[in-house]
Amino acid sequence: MTETNLRSIDVEDFAVREHRSLWLDAWHRLTSNRTAMIGLVVVVIFILSAVLAHFLWDYDPKTDLNYSVKLLAPQLTTSEGSSLIHIFGTDKLGRDIFRRVVHGGWNSLRVGLVAVSISLVIGSILGLLSGFFEYIEMNAIESLVLMLLLGVIIGALPAWIARQPFQIVGYGVLGAGSVLLKQYTDIKKRYRFVIFTMAGALMGVVFGIFSAPLVALVCGILGLAIGILLANPISGNLFSNIVMRIMDIILSFPSYLLAIAIVAFLGPGLEKGMLAIGFVGIPIYARLARSAVLSVSQKEYVLAANAVGESHPRILFRHILPNILSPIIVQATMGLANAILSAAALGFLGLGAVPPEPEWGAMLGESYKYLSSGAWWAVLFPGLAIMLSVLGFNLLGDGLRDALDPKIRI
Amino acid sequence: MSGENSVLVQVKNLKKYFPVNQGILFKRHVKDVKAVDDVSFTIKKGETLGLVGETGCGKTTVGRTILHLYKPTSGQILFDNIDLTGLGENEMRRMRQRMQMIFQDPYASLNPRMTVGSIISAPLDVHTKLNKAQKRERVQELLSIVGLNSGFVNRYPHEFSGGQRQRVGIARALAVNPDLVICDEPISSLDVSIQAQVVNLLEELQDRLGLTYLFVAHDLSMVRHISNRMVVMYLGKIMELADRDEIYQIPLHPYTRALLSAVPIPDPDKASRRERIILEGDIPSPLNPPKGCNFNTRCPLATEICFQSEPAYVDVGSNHFVACHHAG
Amino acid sequence: MDEHIQVRDMKPLLKINDLKTQFHTEDGIVNAVNGITYDMNPGEVLGVVGESGCGKSVHALSIMRLIQIPPGEIANGEIWFNGQDLLKLSDNDIRKIRGRDIAMVFQDPMSSLNPVYTVGFQIVEALKLHKNMRTKEAREKAADLLALVGIPEARKRLDNYPHQFSGGMRQRAMIAMALSCDPKLLIADEPTTALDVTIQAQIIDLVIKLQEELGMAVMWITHDLGIVAEMVHKINVMYAGFIVERGNVRDIYKGTLHPYTKGLLGSLPSIDEAPGTKLISIPGLPPDLVCLPKGCPFYARCVYREDRCKYERPSLEKADSNGHLVACWRWKENLTEGVK
Repeated sequence: MTETNLRSIDVEDFAVREHRSLWLDAWHRLTSNRTAMIGLVVVVIFILSAVLAHFLWDYDPKTDLNYSVKLLAPQLTTSEGSSLIHIFGTDKLGRDIFRRVVHGGWNSLRVGLVAVSISLVIGSILGLLSGFFEYIEMNAIESLVLMLLLGVIIGALPAWIARQPFQIVGYGVLGAGSVLLKQYTDIKKRYRFVIFTMAGALMGVVFGIFSAPLVALVCGILGLAIGILLANPISGNLFSNIVMRIMDIILSFPSYLLAIAIVAFLGPGLEKGMLAIGFVGIPIYARLARSAVLSVSQKEYVLAANAVGESHPRILFRHILPNILSPIIVQATMGLANAILSAAALGFLGLGAVPPEPEWGAMLGESYKYLSSGAWWAVLFPGLAIMLSVLGFNLLGDGLRDALDPKIRI
Repeated sequence: MSGENSVLVQVKNLKKYFPVNQGILFKRHVKDVKAVDDVSFTIKKGETLGLVGETGCGKTTVGRTILHLYKPTSGQILFDNIDLTGLGENEMRRMRQRMQMIFQDPYASLNPRMTVGSIISAPLDVHTKLNKAQKRERVQELLSIVGLNSGFVNRYPHEFSGGQRQRVGIARALAVNPDLVICDEPISSLDVSIQAQVVNLLEELQDRLGLTYLFVAHDLSMVRHISNRMVVMYLGKIMELADRDEIYQIPLHPYTRALLSAVPIPDPDKASRRERIILEGDIPSPLNPPKGCNFNTRCPLATEICFQSEPAYVDVGSNHFVACHHAG
Repeated sequence: MDEHIQVRDMKPLLKINDLKTQFHTEDGIVNAVNGITYDMNPGEVLGVVGESGCGKSVHALSIMRLIQIPPGEIANGEIWFNGQDLLKLSDNDIRKIRGRDIAMVFQDPMSSLNPVYTVGFQIVEALKLHKNMRTKEAREKAADLLALVGIPEARKRLDNYPHQFSGGMRQRAMIAMALSCDPKLLIADEPTTALDVTIQAQIIDLVIKLQEELGMAVMWITHDLGIVAEMVHKINVMYAGFIVERGNVRDIYKGTLHPYTKGLLGSLPSIDEAPGTKLISIPGLPPDLVCLPKGCPFYARCVYREDRCKYERPSLEKADSNGHLVACWRWKENLTEGVK
């Protein structure tokens, strides 16, 4: 910035620093971090090998069998009984471990991506909304939508008991009605309680009668309770509190055990495993998003957006969301690592992936009993695969955290 | 300087309390922070009303409440004779076009992930139906009005200095041609030599565009320089309100006198000659304002009546208002 | 404020010679302090004035050897204090001087006081460390110190935590801590910037009284030219890591020589200016400390500049025999605004 030729004092012509977008800056910081680059390379290898293997290298696990070469140690040449070179050896059914490890990568990648997507999307939305409405008042439309949804969700219970799905609509309307009532009339709180309690009970009884008098009674009581809950539109603060407490409840279960319980409930299969791992991860993103939103919404530029008159959706998507992405991206990267690990854990226990699907944890589970008889390769290579991929994602995640949120020093 | 005498903003008995909730699971409303406690004043069209006070006096809250960034606890705010307190959401949004704000922290009042062009055109997106080209043109016009190169449209805030960012904030505030601009400590975070640049710019813009300013600050010499009239607040209440010269030459409230005597004077002769009133003690917390006059804990003139009843806010002539048992 | 420098003995208390401090960052080397030379006498009150980035705080931290060594580096210079070059002392020796002979008060008392210890504990700790007092004795002294700085109910407040004090009280507690070991030099780095005006007046009043009572030297670092007018003997005006003007208070305010100082004083509104006066603003921005211009650092913003100023850097030279120094090629011409 050495001036060589200043015509006059026209010094507002240049900005202070050179033009670089924030993301580009972050990318430069990332690439100059050696361990992060190692992580990135490992991750890229992992993704490429999984994708290429899945699409270019055919493999049918059900027909893959060759007893004649079972538990063969790693070879560099072909051997009798098999025309393939088993560089990682074979497992108890004579299947080539190298091939299974590479194809297992595809399954791990899928699980990681789907599970993290579920956690991220649902968790972030919940966290975003909780954080946002904790201090900002909900306007009429938002309140309406919330109460409608609430009515529908809670109303599902008596509807299910009475086997009258139409009830759900009724409770939804009740919820919506609560907001409309508050908006357009001036009825006092206690009267509203009375009205809604009676309406709820009535609805429960009426719909329950169609099944049996006992059901009517139960539904009536439920309806009463629902009426009390819906009587007053829930404030943003209360909504945020409720959501976060539910997240706390989910978090209070040890995550692996909860995932196992869900898989046990849903049945076997890699897809169910994805759902379970995804569900267990929701609270982490919810908390992260909420705390990020809370700190961002205190900033003056959000206040400025309010002063300009921007609507809530615009503030959420233009101001808040772009500024909370950094911690979420970092968490997602680490979360992928975690998801792969969890999938492996489920597979090891025989849940999640259904044999003969190649899955690293399942491979470990099947082969560790042969360890004592000396077949180390059947355990080492799947284990290494898990370790390296998790390590890669963790290194990358650490590097991303430093790149996206550098500590400024004077 | 104030052109017509018509009133643009009327604040009547404004109160803004922030509730303090305690409790673990079910929070109860325990007490209130009385940030603004019954404040009334007017702002005339085309003038600059200076609003000064120290920590906890409520000056920032007043500015934000006028803009309805906070909902008033009670009281009325009339803008151009329209009562803002009863307006619905959409109507309020339309009113926002006429009143804008410049914020204190140039580093936090601009979204770091948006370009300067998007930041300035945000009000245009909300309030106008201009197309892309028209918005771009307007943004460039605004940038040059505030003294920035119009080529800066695609830059990010972090590429600019504090003073330049503050100019971007000013451009944003002016985008939709507001009548009222509330300047919330716009120069406190800036270096001294940059402060003068920004203040000169604000004055020039006021002359050119016929703006009305509410200038909230704690730097009394700067406020005096830019204002036509001044309001002194302490712990949520107005202590004194008068024309600029009157309040500096004939301050009636003991707090105003102490405040004026505490302002550093960059001239060793004048500084040594003036009377220094050093107040004892600290500013009380707005959670627990003293009974009687808010200033009684530190006032050198406090007598028994000051501890028993709040002084009335009276007009002592020539548009000079004071709230003190011993003044006038 | 008594303008005469209290001269106890002619030997200066602090003598700084060509101090240069740099920071190594990924953008390059930041030249924070660029060869400053001055001295302070015992009992003298010096105001170091400048805006952000001028190097005033960094130079004070360099005196105390509190610069974090990477990325910082004291590249050059000597700091003579009490016959010793502080820059050549070992870590142990400088620690003995820090807090005892030279004490420092910072801008934000909340982050300078450890929030998990009581204020009394922190003062007592300093006393035990530097003066080898026993705890009981130290507590007595600590209570006396708190009373000295005007904290009511001093004995009771020894056991309060920092967050239980208000901003002004915390700053007083910081001053008490700084004074606990009877330092010869008190460095105050923007101690009142974060305080309200009336509290600021209290603190300034306190420091003036303490200085007169205890006779220590005070270095008051600030950006506020108003504060220093009423409390210091001499002023150093800093810009971009250089001292551009130095002199007695009256000379600086009434006989300003450097264009930057003139610009600074002109940009301040005065409490009795005529209505409608426009503030004189200094156009532009301070230079980038990573690539300082070859010539005068103020060249880009100076209305009196000429070609010589662009290529040759003026050094501080004597303007009179009263100790008024200025670094400008054109100071002799006694320029006034608008004359070019």
